[in-house]
Amino acid sequence: MELQEVYKGENVNEIIRVLSIYKNEAKIIAGGTDIIIDLRNEKISPKVLIDISNTRELSYIKEEGEFIEIGGATTFTQLIENPLIQENLQGLKKACSLVGSPQIRNKGTIGGNIANGSSAADSIPPLICLNSTITLVSTRGKREVYLEDLYTDMNKTIREDELLTNIRFKKPKPEQILTFSKLGLRKALAISRMSISTLLEINKKGVFKAIKIASGSLGKYPMRELEVEEFLLEKSPDEKTIYKAAKILQESMGKRLKGRSTLPYKREAVIGVFREAVEEGVNWSCERNKIKG
Amino acid sequence: MKKKGVGIGISFYGIGYGNGFPDVSKAVVRLLDGGKIGIYTGATEVGQGSKTVLSQIGAETLKIDSKDILFICEDTSLMPDSGTTAASRQTYNTGNAIKTACEKFREELLDAAQRELGLNSVSGLTMEKGEIYLNFFPHKRISFKELSKTYKDNPIEVEGIFTAQTVEMDSETGQGAPYWPYTFNACGVEVEVDTLTGKVEILKAVFAQDTGRAINPKLVEGQMDGGFAMALGYALFEDLEIDKGRIKNNKFSKYLIPTAMDMIDVKNIIIEDPENTAPYGAKGIGESVTIPITPAILNAIYDAVGVRITEIPVTPSRLLKVLADKA
Repeated sequence: MELQEVYKGENVNEIIRVLSIYKNEAKIIAGGTDIIIDLRNEKISPKVLIDISNTRELSYIKEEGEFIEIGGATTFTQLIENPLIQENLQGLKKACSLVGSPQIRNKGTIGGNIANGSSAADSIPPLICLNSTITLVSTRGKREVYLEDLYTDMNKTIREDELLTNIRFKKPKPEQILTFSKLGLRKALAISRMSISTLLEINKKGVFKAIKIASGSLGKYPMRELEVEEFLLEKSPDEKTIYKAAKILQESMGKRLKGRSTLPYKREAVIGVFREAVEEGVNWSCERNKIKG
Repeated sequence: MKKKGVGIGISFYGIGYGNGFPDVSKAVVRLLDGGKIGIYTGATEVGQGSKTVLSQIGAETLKIDSKDILFICEDTSLMPDSGTTAASRQTYNTGNAIKTACEKFREELLDAAQRELGLNSVSGLTMEKGEIYLNFFPHKRISFKELSKTYKDNPIEVEGIFTAQTVEMDSETGQGAPYWPYTFNACGVEVEVDTLTGKVEILKAVFAQDTGRAINPKLVEGQMDGGFAMALGYALFEDLEIDKGRIKNNKFSKYLIPTAMDMIDVKNIIIEDPENTAPYGAKGIGESVTIPITPAILNAIYDAVGVRITEIPVTPSRLLKVLADKA
């Protein structure tokens, strides 16, 4: 199919109307950092492109009570520079700041990262740790799904007439910290070989009161690491425990990536990447507990 | 665990084609309308700065400003051959051809000035800033511009040729003096190796390069930084991954080269020890600046984690494997 038209989406209503007409013959383009490459390589051949890069309604970061909501077409640069995405949300900021290069971060959007759904997408593990939901809108209506379910549950995937309008998550409690660590083979323009994000809380007794872990590139899609979470909960974050937790992660990612040529290296390196993500959080928490007494 | 180590690498490198091979550069110098000087040579500028450096050599010899030189090197119909931009040879070889041409050209201009000024000889004539005058009677003077008008129909033009001196090696014994001159360098680096992920980070680097004479120190530093960056890729990133004769990493998303983020600020030290066969003492450094870096990095890795790497690039997976084999 030859590309015939490009629509410039003024607002959400107009975009979903065009989507409802063309359905799978249409593709949404925001930053285009993935889609242009797919078009060039003829991996996709839509009849219509719907450009949402200038759709104001989709580009924002706002605080709504306990929640933070991010428009689907918000760029990584906007996120990195926003005062809402810092302090104990530093893991999300870090993930966004490690995407590609300044040029890619200026164009690439968080909604695009999610919709493209690469296993190596940097922003997804921290958003999964935050238990984020995404809003999908079509002429048929609106629905919210958990980001975590998006890639696993067939009923929760984005349908051909749907537009991802926003991502929403509850702000973590002040005593909780979101972290991120990534292994790329160079310092910029490197696709993540793997990434780990954690959301954790260490209480006054010095044990994990809360722990959420999500990984990238350790399976077919970004996902929660439930076994590791379960193991760590209520335990103290000493070196031995963290190492044991890393071994559990190694075991489960090993099963998932069985047979892949990259597995032998990833099995080894995952220990370091995991430790970095957890230790970053533990250090932050200990520091905080010290100050707050 | 992160471990630090330091290492050095040293090298020497022969400039030019070497081994008795005919290594010839030519340059033509011509007086142009308006008194500008045209230098025509086949030396190709590939971003290394040869146009700048070779113009400087011409300007120095003729005691004029570089901006009064029209340097033409892109059109083979207008210029003689100066060999390839390879073997780090253009500054040395074509630089010599230009210097020779400019010296001959100077003589021609002085002869022309003698004629035009009605003098007995060229004795006592000084050439500077595009003018020729008699030292003890500066009123007697003529500019390049005036000369160019006089010789409009028969422009003053000379050719300079330089043939490098090298000796073919004895094919039986491998003995001889295949190159001249040589350039020398040394590099020291400090690395940090992450033994959990296998990543190697360069923390600091110091790099000394013998240039004979740095005709343009900024360009020398540019070459040194560029050589370091290339070698950094060679040592740590660039992996073709050949599988049954096919290159697997056949695009730049897979075949990684260092980005600006991966490069560090190298402390560059320029060593000047003029070479007497070279134009103003300057030797070529184009290729030599890549050579000592990788050995320095590999030695630093050895210092950090105690393993000798015998295959490059030292990718994280390769390094982890070597570390595991040792343990």
